[in-house]
Amino acid sequence: MTRVPLKLINRLGLHARAASKLVQAASAYRSQLWLEHKGRRVNAKSIMGVLLLAAPCGSDLTLEASGPDETEAANAIARLVAERFGEDE
Amino acid sequence: MSLALTGIGVTSGIALGKVHRLTPGELSLPEYYLNADAVEGETERLRRAASRGQRFLTSVSERIGESGNETARELLQAHRLILRDPMLIEASCERIEQDRINAEWALAQQSEQLQDAFRRLDDDYLAQRREDLEQVVQLIQRELADQPAAVLGSQIPHRLEDTVLVAVELSPADLTILSQRRVAGLITEHGGPWSHVAILARSLEIPMVVGVHHAIELLEEGESVVLDGHYGAVLVNPDDSLERHYAEKQAASQRHRVELRQYLSRPCRTIDKQKFEILGNAELPIEFERCVDAGVSGIGLMRTEYLFLDEQMPDEQAQFRAYRKAVQILDGRPVTIRTLDAGGDKLPSALALTRGPNPALGLRGLRLSLSVTDLFCQQLRAILRASTEGPVRILLPMLTSVDEVAQARQLIAQCRESLRNEGLNLDPDLPIGGMIETPAAALNAEEMAAELDFLSIGTNDLIQYVLAIDRQDELVSHLYDPTQPGVIELLERITAAGRRHERPVTVCGELAGDERAARLLLGLGLRQFSMPPARVAAVKKSLIEADSRACRDIVTRFRADAAWRRSHRLLEELAEHGGKS
Repeated sequence: MTRVPLKLINRLGLHARAASKLVQAASAYRSQLWLEHKGRRVNAKSIMGVLLLAAPCGSDLTLEASGPDETEAANAIARLVAERFGEDE
Repeated sequence: MSLALTGIGVTSGIALGKVHRLTPGELSLPEYYLNADAVEGETERLRRAASRGQRFLTSVSERIGESGNETARELLQAHRLILRDPMLIEASCERIEQDRINAEWALAQQSEQLQDAFRRLDDDYLAQRREDLEQVVQLIQRELADQPAAVLGSQIPHRLEDTVLVAVELSPADLTILSQRRVAGLITEHGGPWSHVAILARSLEIPMVVGVHHAIELLEEGESVVLDGHYGAVLVNPDDSLERHYAEKQAASQRHRVELRQYLSRPCRTIDKQKFEILGNAELPIEFERCVDAGVSGIGLMRTEYLFLDEQMPDEQAQFRAYRKAVQILDGRPVTIRTLDAGGDKLPSALALTRGPNPALGLRGLRLSLSVTDLFCQQLRAILRASTEGPVRILLPMLTSVDEVAQARQLIAQCRESLRNEGLNLDPDLPIGGMIETPAAALNAEEMAAELDFLSIGTNDLIQYVLAIDRQDELVSHLYDPTQPGVIELLERITAAGRRHERPVTVCGELAGDERAARLLLGLGLRQFSMPPARVAAVKKSLIEADSRACRDIVTRFRADAAWRRSHRLLEELAEHGGKS
């Protein structure tokens, strides 16, 4: 199992497009992926779960990945978050 | 021209809107329980419908092509993500397996739960996602309806916020769909204030007036109406000032509801520092979740009849799953599971042979269970097994004599023994309580309290039997009155018996969920109230602001003073002088 801390630095947090991009990225991997925010834990492949986190900019999240491609998955998602989901600043 | 119709108001809410007359057949999202061997086929049916939906969305987005506008593409993308969201299809499949219900029903329940979560977030953007979810669910329901057995009433407008529906009668399933579509108000020609539909409307807080004769004939499609659920009035084509008056009243009640919610987090203590306890009544998982959200300290009444309403009886495993689910949701808070309370107005078709000439006085409740011990033991074993996952209490319905308690206890002991032989580690002190809802049990409360670990007062049936009134009968339902001296004497008697034997006494009937009656119960010495989640805030406020001594004095005076008894003002008096408000 791989656990990585994530900090949301894009302006809108896990809203709209960011959530959608995250879910699409997560769905490309076979591993199970979980996001945790303020005690709430959701499946990172679930758009509704991710939206329900309602995590704004500045939130600290934890990503948990377990499965055959867990390292790649965790890296890809960490990169997506660090790159502000491709949003402008 | 203005016209006023009257019926029986079942909720206190007000609705303003345009009339839509429901024709039979419009509303038939089918709901049924499955046989064990049909479960797999049903999950498969749902998955197939979802993938047909997925293909449909893909084909639409291909048609839009690269030239299409960005918004449409994003919307379709959102819908596709929702459609393959494990929280939708996979979770619905789990519901099919666990609750053994059909795909349409499981999907509707799952969607309602998700929408509820979105609503709680109170965020405009997410509110929009909730609509997307609704649309996706509609899409799948339509795909499911391709099966000949299933027809979803797609003629009904998708959104009913400004619509007052008029129907001859509605089933609880209909009500669930209409509530999902945010119907403003409901009018039916049939039904009494204590029918299941009315109880459900109250718990969902939908303004509703039942028993409006000839409503379908008298109301025209598209006409404006004001529905006053408190007075049971339907005002047709109201003039401007009347409409304004009601719109203001509605806004005020909306503010009141928001205000009430703040009471959910307050400690349960009256102004004179008496502690009380609020428990929940629930049967379906969504209701258990709502109870937890409302901050209840446990479940005072888990009804189990819904598991049995199918042709085929649920087996032990299916029951176990339903009870375990409740225990898991309650996460350490006790769950009181009532054994099958069939008979009377609800009888599983598989037990139809047990219907006698007068069901209300026939083989029902525990009597029925004791006459079909195989079935009863199956349920007891399922409950006992669920008790290994968290605190569980067994509640026996419709007692008339302590002999029945002894027989039930013996069967419970047998089941416990057999499970222990199978290697299960069971709590030997699992509390066993009884419903006091017949006059015989109430008059014999002293002995009942000695034989049972706790008592639960089912006020609906108790009042019905004491006053000899069928609450479903429109001709006499107005005579249903909890402040009748005979009712109050019995309530007092049960409470006193519980106190003397140091047995907790819970009230789990409708009265416990009525903020005015709750003060009457408080005055009688009761401290545990079990109710549907939607009633918690109002009752809690009433009790937090009550002075238990003042309530007791008012009730004592009422019992002693014949002239005052005739004034019928007990509940008003308790509301005005039983505490702060």
